[in-house]
Parts: sequence; structure tokens; C-alpha cells
Amino acid sequence: MADTATATAVDHHDDHGHSESFWSKYIFSTDHKIIGFQYLFTGMAMGLIGGFFSYVFRMHLAFPGSEVPFFGIVSPAAYNSLVTNHGTIMIFWVAMPVLIAALGNFLIPLMIGCDDMVFPRINRLSYQIFLISAIVLIASFFVPQGGFGGAWTAYPPLSSEAEYNGTPFGAPMWLIAVTLEIVAFLLGGINFITTVMNARAKGMKLYDIPMVVWMIVIASILFMASVGPLVAGAVMLLFDQTLGTGFFDPAAGGDPVLWQHLFWFFGHPEVYVVLLPAMGVVIEIICTFARKKLFGYKMILYSSVGLGILSFFVWAHHQFISGVDPRATYLFTTTTLLISIPVALMLFAMIGTLWGGSIRFTTAMLFALSFIAEFLIGGVTGIWLGSSGTDIYLHDTYFVLAHFHYTFVPIAIIGTFSALYYWFPKMFGRKLNEFWGKIHFWGTIIPFNGIFLPLFILGAAGQHRRIAGYTAYPDLYTENFQDLRVFATGSLIVLILFQIPFFVNFIVSLKRGQKAGPNPWNANTLEWVAPSPPPHGNFGDDLPQVYRGPYEFSVEGREEDYWPQNEPDPGPSETSK
Amino acid sequence: MASHSHPSYLKIYIMLLVLFVISVAGPEIADIMKLEGATRLILVLITAFGIALVKAYYVLAYFMHLKFEKIYAPYILLSMVALLFVFFFGTATDAMKSEGHNWEKTPIVLPEDKGFDHHDDHGDHSHDDHSGHDH
Repeated sequence: MADTATATAVDHHDDHGHSESFWSKYIFSTDHKIIGFQYLFTGMAMGLIGGFFSYVFRMHLAFPGSEVPFFGIVSPAAYNSLVTNHGTIMIFWVAMPVLIAALGNFLIPLMIGCDDMVFPRINRLSYQIFLISAIVLIASFFVPQGGFGGAWTAYPPLSSEAEYNGTPFGAPMWLIAVTLEIVAFLLGGINFITTVMNARAKGMKLYDIPMVVWMIVIASILFMASVGPLVAGAVMLLFDQTLGTGFFDPAAGGDPVLWQHLFWFFGHPEVYVVLLPAMGVVIEIICTFARKKLFGYKMILYSSVGLGILSFFVWAHHQFISGVDPRATYLFTTTTLLISIPVALMLFAMIGTLWGGSIRFTTAMLFALSFIAEFLIGGVTGIWLGSSGTDIYLHDTYFVLAHFHYTFVPIAIIGTFSALYYWFPKMFGRKLNEFWGKIHFWGTIIPFNGIFLPLFILGAAGQHRRIAGYTAYPDLYTENFQDLRVFATGSLIVLILFQIPFFVNFIVSLKRGQKAGPNPWNANTLEWVAPSPPPHGNFGDDLPQVYRGPYEFSVEGREEDYWPQNEPDPGPSETSK
Repeated sequence: MASHSHPSYLKIYIMLLVLFVISVAGPEIADIMKLEGATRLILVLITAFGIALVKAYYVLAYFMHLKFEKIYAPYILLSMVALLFVFFFGTATDAMKSEGHNWEKTPIVLPEDKGFDHHDDHGDHSHDDHSGHDH
């Protein structure tokens, strides 16, 4: 501890000069806030690419054969490449960097009251590897035959044989990019765990840590525990593609189902890796804007640990029709249905926090509330997919697709927006415009339901998610179904158009937004003690000291309805419980 | 944490070397004495695998510093080992079972047994067509 503390102190001393150039300040910085911004902006830029891909293939599905504006005719090969890279980008290059890396880097040192991460240079290395991975992925779109077209789950033999996926150069580049990205997040995760365990402010006990920090730590542990099989599998698949080995090739004695096991042993915990930070964000925001103490802090903490443990026992529910042993499906159906219990506990705790609170409907709060509502739809529709009987029918249809978008969009889009509207004043010292924020909110939530509710119907009617065009299937190319597809595509375009106010609001508020003091929302946690935006070193020379838990809102007998964690207790006569 | 005193790494290294000699010598002795059956199995398991576990413990505890870390670090590592067994357990039914109620595991068919050469009589592109359809 002492070693690392001096190391960071030396770092700060070195960096404190005001003559630093743009490059050393913003590009090669070791400051956790700058690295957080690097992750945030890279993630947002990748989000634009992933969003554009979804626009192209949804337009193609709604108007097959016609030219898509800004893209052209979508060939089946291009369709494969677009859906593959849409999935990959949105999960690995948007949800992960923004929710875990950007928020984790920005918030953890501020919320636990220390001056920086314990390994600032590993932190910088983490972003640099991540940036290389993003460049490799984008470069793969421009090689001959284009980006990888074997679906984001990359099942062999489709992914291992170039003659099947049609992308001899895109496929290995995709695998290399994913592996590099995972290395980057392992470095970041180690940093998060070590920082929270060793560098907390004086007086901050384990149960005084804000929930979002706990969630990022648990997510990092889940990530560390689950990526091993995927990296091993990715290297094996790379060998299958390039060196002619046969790990996943039955003809050479391999087994394609092995890849599915390796992938989903990572893939299912990964869902919770991105879910937990979003849950943490929502909890922070709900407590602040309901002006009420968190309902069941320990219950949420333990159920998220239980969720993490259970998430390693459910992976084969993605493989019910892949030829896994039918007896194993009993086991995996049971564990899958069990996992809804901790998630439901956490959602009920959020609703319980709202009960009797004095709720303020800021934009951040609206996004947080919509997270609960929309995620609930995603969770409940998962019950049919987790039961092996119904999953045989619904597998790989648009029902699955609508289900996981109802979980991932609340996590990655709604969770991120609520976090941005809430912490923007801390990040940049100015507030985002609330009026345009609310327009952005309604313009995001309503079209979002408009996209995916029709897809539930289409999926239940049998539309398969991997088929590029339905013109060849007269049963499914009827007017009713096509109308639903056009409606979903129209909703998507509305949703994309309503992101313009957000980006304009973001850029204008950076320069002209209403100035925010250190604590614009009257919240309790330590990041609101530092000035907005926090200077290098966050709190100046005196690191804050913690006296109580993070959610002491509306305590009886106090004049203000909040009680910052760093405020010393008043005299013993006034102490309230 | 900075106050803890490091053990002598040389001592542990020498100890690991001694253990290594034992773990090599055990199976050798089993060979020389021409042991068979359970006695041989027990001797080899204890000297080769048992000692390997002891060596692994010393490497983890001292060279990887787990003995001096906060208690959560070894726990995280242990949970990873536990997850390895979860993975083996979950895939065991696929790997070890060769028959089921509603399906059967067909024996591996090597390419030459599929009669691809036969199709080649019709020309190269028909070969491609068939390899795409045959599983």
C-alpha cells in the first residue's frame, strides 16, 4: 500500500507542471479521469458505427432489394458482415468501454476518495490496447471480402472455414480484435479491484462503498473469471482458420460444440458484467432523486454476488438445440430460472427505494426509471428462452433478438444515458440542458419499444434472425409481417434522429451549459466533494474522510435532506440513527 | 503491507528443488522395484502429483506473493479453480456420454470415407457442392 501510494504521488509530482502539451495531457495521460474520457469517447464513436450498421440492415429488411441511402445495395454477404459487427461492436466496443471502463475509471477513485488508480500506467496501457483492438476491428471492414460474417457468436464451422463465412481476412482480424479487447479489460479490471480494496478513503468500510463501485468490482471479478475459456477458444479458432488445425472440426476429430461451451461460458457471465454496472448507476440515481436511503443495501450486494456465482452455472441455455446432452438441459433450465431471483430482488429493492420518496423527475431519473421498466420486459421474456421446451421453438428467431435487445439496450444505452446526464456536471463542470434532455429521453424510449415489440411478434411467427431477406419465403413475406418490419425500421430511424439533440446538447453544454457547483444534485457520495470538474489529483492535499454510508438521505432531525459521507458527525446530543 | 518481512527465496528455491528430485525419483523407484497395481499407483500419485501440488502451493504462496496479499486475492484465485471444475462438470455430459434417449452419437466420418473422390468424377464444382451439404 505504502509503495503504491508513493508511486502515484511521484507520478502526480511529475505531471503537475502546467506546461504539458496536448499529447501528454489528453493522449498519453495517466490521469484516471482522462482515461475514462478516452474510453467514453471511443465507445461513443464506436456506438455511431454500430448504430449505422443496424440502420443499414434494418432498412434492407424493410425494403429488400432497394438501395439503402448512404450504403447502397446490401448483398447477403454484406448482411452477414453487418449483423456480425453490429453485435460485436455494441457489446465489446460500446457497452464494455462505456459502462465498465469509462465509468469505472472516472468514478472509482472519486467515489472511494483517493487521488488516482493504484496502477496509473497499467490503466493507460489498458486504453492503448483497447484502442488498437478498435483499430484492428475497423480495419477488418476494409480488407478484401470485408469484415467477419460468421455472427458475433462465431460458431464453427461457419466461423472456422473461409469458404463458409466468405471472409478469409475479416475472420482472423475479428478474432484478434476481440482477444486484444479482452486483454485491455483484464488490465482495467485488475486495476479496479486493487484500487477499491486498497485505496479507500479513511473510514470507508466495505459497507460504505457506493453501490456502483461495488457493482463494477463484482463485474470485473466476473470478467476475470470468465474470459479464460474464451481467449483459449479464440486462439484455437484462429489456429483452425489460419494453420489448418481441427479443434472444432469433426472431420479432424474436433468438436464444434466445444466452441459453443467455451464461448458461452464467457458469454453468459458477460451479460452480468455489463448489467451490474448499469444496475449500480441506476441505484445511485434513484437514491439521489428519490431523496431516500437505499432499500436493502446488503441484500442488493449479496444478491449481486449470488447473481455472479449463479451466472457461471447457466451457460448451456444458449445451446439447447446445439446437440448438448438432453439431461444437461434439465440442469441448465433450472439454474436459468433460479437466476431470475437475485435480479428480481435487485429490481424490487429499487422500486422499494422509490416507495415514499420525494421523487424528482430529472432526465437522469427518467432514464433510470425506464431502465427498470424496460429491463423487466427483457427479463420476463427470457423465461421462455431459458426453458428448454419453449426454446426449441423460439431459438434463433427474432424473439430471441427482441429479448436480448430489451436487456442490452436498457443496460448499454439507457444506463449509459442516465449516467451521462447524472455525472456530466462532475465530468465537465456544466449541466446538460434538461429540456432537450427530456425530449431526447422520450425520443429514445418510445421508438425503442417501437423497434422491438414488433420483433417479438415476428419471432413468434417464425422469422429467423440470420436470414438476409424474406422475399424467398412467401409464408413470411406477407403484407402483415412486412408492415411490422417497416414499422420497426421506421422506429429505428426515429430513434437515431432523436440522438441528434443529444449530441448537440452534449457539445453545446460543454461550452455554454449552466455552470454546476461541486454538488449540483445534493448527493452524498465522495465524488461530489471534489470540485467540478475535479483537478488532477481530485481532492487536493486533504483526501476526504468517511463517516457514514453513501445513502443517508432525508435523515430525521437534520436541516438538509442529504448528509454527505465526508461530513463529521455533529455533537453526541444531536446524533440521529 | 510494506512492513512484512520476505522469507528467504533461496531457501524456498532449494526446497522446491528437493521436492522436484523426490517427485522424479518416486516413479523411477516404482519402475526399479517393479511395483504393480495399487502400490505402484499410490506411490506414483503421491510422489508425482502430490508433491506437485505442494510445489504449486509454495510457488503461489511465496513467489506469487499470495501469502502476503490481502485475503481476497487468494480467494479470487481459488474461485477460478472452482470454476474450472464447473466448466468440466457442465461439458462432461457432452464429452463422456455416447448415447442418449433421443439421439445417437454417430461415429466420426473421415473425409476419405465419405466418398468425395467418387463425386470428383463429375468435375470440381460438384465436389464443392457436396462438401457444403454433407455434414
